Amino acid sequence: MTLGERRNLIKGLVFISPWIVGFLAFNLYPLIASIWFSLCDYSVLSQPVFLGAQNYVDLWHDPVFWKALRNTVVFAVVAIPLSTFLSIGLAVLLNQPITGQGIYRTIFFLPSLVPAISLAILWQWMLNGPMGLVNNLVRPFLNIINAVTGSHLQAPDWLNDPNFALWGLILTGLWGTGQAVVIYLAGLQEVPAELYEAAELDGTNAWQRFLHITLPMLSPVIFFNVLMSIIGALQTFAVPYILTGGGDGPGRSLLFLATYIYQNAFDYWNMGYASALALCLFVLIIGLSLVTVHYGEKKVHYSGR
Amino acid sequence: MNPTRSSVPWLSRVALILLGVLFLLPFFWMVSTSLKPLNETMKLPPQWLPSSPQWHNYPDAMQAMGPFWLYARNSLLLAFLNVVGTVFSSAFVAYGFSRLDWRGRDGCFFVLLATMMIPFPVVMVPIYGLFRALGWIGTFQPLWVPAFLAGAFNVFLLRQFFLSIPRDLSEAARIDGCSEFRIFWQIILPLAKPALLTVALFQFMATWNDFLGPLIFLARENQYTLALGLQALQGTISGTPWHHLMAASTLVLLPVLVLFFLTQRTFIRGIATTGLK
Amino acid sequence: MAKVLIENLYKIYPAEKGRPEKMAVDNANFEIQDREFMVLVGPSGCGKTTTLRMVAGLEEISRGAIYIDGKKINEIPPKDRDIAMVFQNYALYPHMSVYRNMAFGLELRGVPKEEIRRRVDSAARTLGLLEPDNLLERKPKALSGGQRQRVALGRAIVREPKAFLFDEPLSNLDAKMRVETRTEISRLHRQLASTMIYVTHDQTEAMTMADRIVVMRYGKIQQIAAPLDLYHQPANLFVAGFIGSPPMNFFTGTLTASRQGTLEFVEKVSAGQTPFRCPLSSETSRRLSSRQNREVILGIRPEHLHPNSLTSGVNLEATVEVVEPMGAETFVYLRTGGHTCICRTTQIEFMDLEGKNLNLGPDLSRAVFFDPETEAAIPA
Repeated sequence: MTLGERRNLIKGLVFISPWIVGFLAFNLYPLIASIWFSLCDYSVLSQPVFLGAQNYVDLWHDPVFWKALRNTVVFAVVAIPLSTFLSIGLAVLLNQPITGQGIYRTIFFLPSLVPAISLAILWQWMLNGPMGLVNNLVRPFLNIINAVTGSHLQAPDWLNDPNFALWGLILTGLWGTGQAVVIYLAGLQEVPAELYEAAELDGTNAWQRFLHITLPMLSPVIFFNVLMSIIGALQTFAVPYILTGGGDGPGRSLLFLATYIYQNAFDYWNMGYASALALCLFVLIIGLSLVTVHYGEKKVHYSGR
Repeated sequence: MNPTRSSVPWLSRVALILLGVLFLLPFFWMVSTSLKPLNETMKLPPQWLPSSPQWHNYPDAMQAMGPFWLYARNSLLLAFLNVVGTVFSSAFVAYGFSRLDWRGRDGCFFVLLATMMIPFPVVMVPIYGLFRALGWIGTFQPLWVPAFLAGAFNVFLLRQFFLSIPRDLSEAARIDGCSEFRIFWQIILPLAKPALLTVALFQFMATWNDFLGPLIFLARENQYTLALGLQALQGTISGTPWHHLMAASTLVLLPVLVLFFLTQRTFIRGIATTGLK
Repeated sequence: MAKVLIENLYKIYPAEKGRPEKMAVDNANFEIQDREFMVLVGPSGCGKTTTLRMVAGLEEISRGAIYIDGKKINEIPPKDRDIAMVFQNYALYPHMSVYRNMAFGLELRGVPKEEIRRRVDSAARTLGLLEPDNLLERKPKALSGGQRQRVALGRAIVREPKAFLFDEPLSNLDAKMRVETRTEISRLHRQLASTMIYVTHDQTEAMTMADRIVVMRYGKIQQIAAPLDLYHQPANLFVAGFIGSPPMNFFTGTLTASRQGTLEFVEKVSAGQTPFRCPLSSETSRRLSSRQNREVILGIRPEHLHPNSLTSGVNLEATVEVVEPMGAETFVYLRTGGHTCICRTTQIEFMDLEGKNLNLGPDLSRAVFFDPETEAAIPA
């Protein structure tokens, strides 16, 4: 290395030194420690005792783990497509020359800013069985359907019904798609108008234009957003935790992997087991991310690359 | 779908109005409930507006939460520390990744990108252990010291911005006699104000919103942030006082809304650009 | 003010994936005298900017050395080399006023405020930044391109450096501004009597501004000489074709023995065409005697091809293709049996001559001959 290169190396390392410290303390050490703890019986109060793969064996036989895993995956698999459709749809609606576009955009965006605690408490109230706003809006429709078809549909007691609690949570999440709407709207505005004009001259209708121009041009943004959503959704903790008052929800239907990890770590002080669970979550995230990336590489169209 | 068409289909207009109302409804309901007396909150069929607005619900709610202003002060203090720490440390590190050429730089940056994939639950337990060993559990330290160690996302954001500043500005400054730190402080930072503001805003929102962090690392009640204080209120009384809860939720939400309306353009632009990368 | 010595200078970019090793500067050697205006010129990629940046300290020296005033500066950082640089894109600090932009370097060196004020005012006055409008408090974005460039000049001037470095400073200006600023820089050079190293790809700038010119190509120095020497005695085909506009005409041909015992240049043509012949003077014939019956390239500048003049023994007849009347002179583009060429004349207009034939009288005393393989000029 020349003197100049060495000087630059030192300068570079000095500048990134805060990150290096952070990386060692909060990324590298915890990752390695997590793996070690997952192989131990560890409550913070005493030294870890090596157990080999026992935690993983327990995990495999733990029905609660499977329940949590199932909840987490189902939530992600349902919520993300729904949310994506909704946000793209909203963005498309917004991308028209209407008066008050800025106001609508603000209306859709604002809910995504609501702090988790306010959000959870608000929706706990909204999803209340007898008095919640959601049911009050839904009930008239159910009554009509009941009158017409003679069924006896009831508005569900969302947060107390194991079959509907997760749906309530999904509804909560849909309210917060505003951030994605802003991103998609920006992406839509990048699509050159000439493409649409040319397609119109070619005799396409609006739906075809959407399918063959809008979606491909938007695909990199969609890809990135979906990837981030997956990583985020699999780590869901705060809202369900608050919604259930720190618990699992009816029949453990709101128990997410992150919640179960938290419970094992800080309620039962079973940190070794919690670490094993956490590493499973990590593997799940990486796995799904790789799948998405692999699928995305094929389908995503990068213009001008 | 076709933005150049001059007449917007009425279906779109109707859909937008409908969806707009739906999205606004929870806000409306939250404020409306917060201004009702308790009995009106539970009326069926629901009463949309309070018969007379019970403004005293707000001070009552603050009272019910306990040391409300203490919690608020805690939240603000943490938000401030995090914003300052994040802005400066991320800018400092981003400078190293963008304005300097050194061996191994891109490799290190790749590692940084990779760390963005590590979910918090995975590192939660060992970090707790680390802070415990330092004696920091039950203090504020775990909630703001890491901000001074440059988070990956903000470094990424600022690096993108710094890369867009012409190289020859740095070169001219070097010839003028600037040390590298001076170039960072006197040339790059002043030119990066919009990006720094975006980072500051995002960080404020994130810290204000943070629930899991305070939940794990704080112990004593007098350290609680607003988020924890509000959650405590939720758990205490049976026969939930929805009017108080809604009032308190609104209060916690208010600073975020105010900040948003003050900085709307920067905010929206910041989100749009991070999404488009 | 100082001498700058470039000694066996190399810049080598090591190979990386997708690209083999690149030698950007290949054994550069020259010395710039004190107070000299030296121009490095050549097509893009020739290594001129890399050389300049090595002098500035913005680029690492791979091999060799650079001396400023006798002191080797290889390892010295830019700020301690006592040089100032004017960048192609001006590199003005956007958030600082013009005054601050110029004062910044001095502030960093601890120059007292009154002295800074004095120098900045003096430079500003010289550069016309005070009249008709006082621009000192404006920010760069409120200035035109020409004004910005002058601020960049001012920033360099106040430093009172040992040498000024210019990196294609006129490239971003429009044509008129370019000429104005060019004369400004030349005037400054006379006024400040300082050493200046100037990089450009524009041979006109080089010819008009330089005391001496270094012509570079593919990292190698082609020739170092004063402008007119470069013009009249180019060392090789590249320099001959690069310097001068419109460029020198090149004719490939063979030297054969003529009836008078001297040599004759016979143009190389394709089958069926008639070559032209130019007898050479006895002196030239003697000089080129070793080349008899071998191929050479005859280089002759457009202004040395005289139209409509018959010279004895020369049958250079060409067909006019295009006539470009420029006002003060006319360019005539012609085709011979085997080549195209340009003729430049101040004689009567040549309108309506397209398609017609013209006799060209070459002034062979000004011609340069080149070896077709080495491309080097055959020395006088």
